[in-house]
Amino acid sequence: MRILGLDTATRATSVAMIEDGPPPRELEARDDPPPGARPRHAMRLLALAAEVLDEAAVGWPEVDLIAVGVGPGTFTGLRIGVATARALARARGIPLTGVSTLHSLALNASRDGQRRDDVEVIIAVLDARRGEAFAAAWRQDEIARTGSPGTPLMAPAVYTPRALAARVGGLHAASMAIGDGALAFREVLERQGTFIPEDHSELHRVTAINHCRLARGLRGGAPDEVLPVYLRVPDAEISRRAAAQ
Amino acid sequence: MAHRARGLDPEPFRVILGIETSCDDTCAAIVTAGGEVRANVISSQGVHDRYGGVVPEIASRHHLELIGAVIDDAFARAEITPEELDLVAVTQGPGLVGALLVGVATAKALAAAYELPLAPVDHLHGHVAATFLAPDPFEPPFLALIASGGHTLLAYVRDEGPAFEVLGQTLDDAAGEAFDKGARLLGLGYPGGAALERLAREGHPDTFSFPTASRVQGLDFSFAGLKTALLYRLRELSEQEVERQRADLAASYQRAIVEALFGKVRRALSETGLDRLALGGGVAANGALRERFQELGVELAVPARELCTDNAAMIASAARFRDPLPYPDYLELDVYATGERTLAAR
Ligand SMILES: [Zn+2]
Repeated sequence: MRILGLDTATRATSVAMIEDGPPPRELEARDDPPPGARPRHAMRLLALAAEVLDEAAVGWPEVDLIAVGVGPGTFTGLRIGVATARALARARGIPLTGVSTLHSLALNASRDGQRRDDVEVIIAVLDARRGEAFAAAWRQDEIARTGSPGTPLMAPAVYTPRALAARVGGLHAASMAIGDGALAFREVLERQGTFIPEDHSELHRVTAINHCRLARGLRGGAPDEVLPVYLRVPDAEISRRAAAQ
Repeated sequence: MAHRARGLDPEPFRVILGIETSCDDTCAAIVTAGGEVRANVISSQGVHDRYGGVVPEIASRHHLELIGAVIDDAFARAEITPEELDLVAVTQGPGLVGALLVGVATAKALAAAYELPLAPVDHLHGHVAATFLAPDPFEPPFLALIASGGHTLLAYVRDEGPAFEVLGQTLDDAAGEAFDKGARLLGLGYPGGAALERLAREGHPDTFSFPTASRVQGLDFSFAGLKTALLYRLRELSEQEVERQRADLAASYQRAIVEALFGKVRRALSETGLDRLALGGGVAANGALRERFQELGVELAVPARELCTDNAAMIASAARFRDPLPYPDYLELDVYATGERTLAAR
């Protein structure tokens, strides 16, 4: 089994591949734009994917499954990732599966060596801009269950800081929050007793390698069934609905 | 003329897939090296009417939902398989960035999966290249007027290659935008260009006098004042008068747009000495405009309606006359929102 993972939901562009052994291999390539610079999904995604394939010395037809991050995240980034994944899958008849970017992020905290026994719940938080956050939470021991992370304690949704605080406070469990949104809303979350790793921790980074891990064992499906999970309607639609009332 | 030679050569690019997503139409087409359109699929989103204009975020979402099916449809209608492709062509700009990115990401990945070359095409060159398609390719040199909801451009086309000389552009609204805005003021909804044309047929074009921006310098256009003039005229008239003269208003308004375009085209023909004219863009489908331009007495090329409005066959056509990027040189290709980059003035 050889799985290619792609993610463009955050500012980073992340590509990874895992191969079953022997010996098993994990390859990763990513692009993190410097602070203040625009994301480079459009330019880097396919190039990084080609680099990973080159490094693995395999061609497109030898990829068994593509796992693409479907968000939530930046709308334009998600579309670049999904459009790229769908076209690759379509061209080469490769099954495609969508992976929740929040679920993949949460997996960072439940991996061997990262687990904390004093934590029951992992909250994955992404910066949704406009002062809001995309967030979801799972029980730490359910996150790594391939393909079915169990019912999330907090379903993926967009939260204002106040709503996020209320929701997290209502979990009544020892929790850890990770992701760029956890950093953006550190104060709000810490006030609820949530633990947040230091700013530079790797735990905050969305990585496509987790997409591959979560996709392992999944079959994937028709490319066109995979679409971004925006979690937000476009502004024009909000205004139109408001005007109609 | 090197471009011409490559265009007529059936090798090495026999079958070209074109992809166009610069605005609100999701388009894919299959065109042969000889310029034969084997499939030209256009999925108009239609959802923007309720917002009174194209909403970039909504257009981008729809492109992503539609693009796979549109490409499949193009292959099915052309009766070829993706494995038979020789080249992928895609609109790189100008247009809505989010919308363009869906097409470019798709085209790049599709081409890369087969290690095919990829031709990034300028949307406006695409409109010009619609006239190079079989069965009646229009040969340069000629003057081209591209008028649509997104652009109004007058160009000197010397050969089929990607560079053409921009002689004039709109300074504000595009001609098609003027049609749509006028239609909205007349209560015809959005987009109302076609409805305005229908209504205008029942009216007298010389009832009202609207400005044709003839004072705009050189060969540039301006349509913003026209829309304002209509707005003021509507305010002056009573409700009953507007109701009674709606068709006259539409006819007079349409005439002003047509005359604005006609005046600059006539001037451009005389300044350049060209005696051949190609029209393109959605406005070229307007009957009154086509009729008026017949009076110029020059050789006139107007592609079929589905090749005038945004489509991917024109993008594939343009790709026949440029050097594509070989795999993997295009993996980092990005889009551009405005056109200054490729419209080389000579
Ligand atoms: Zn156009």
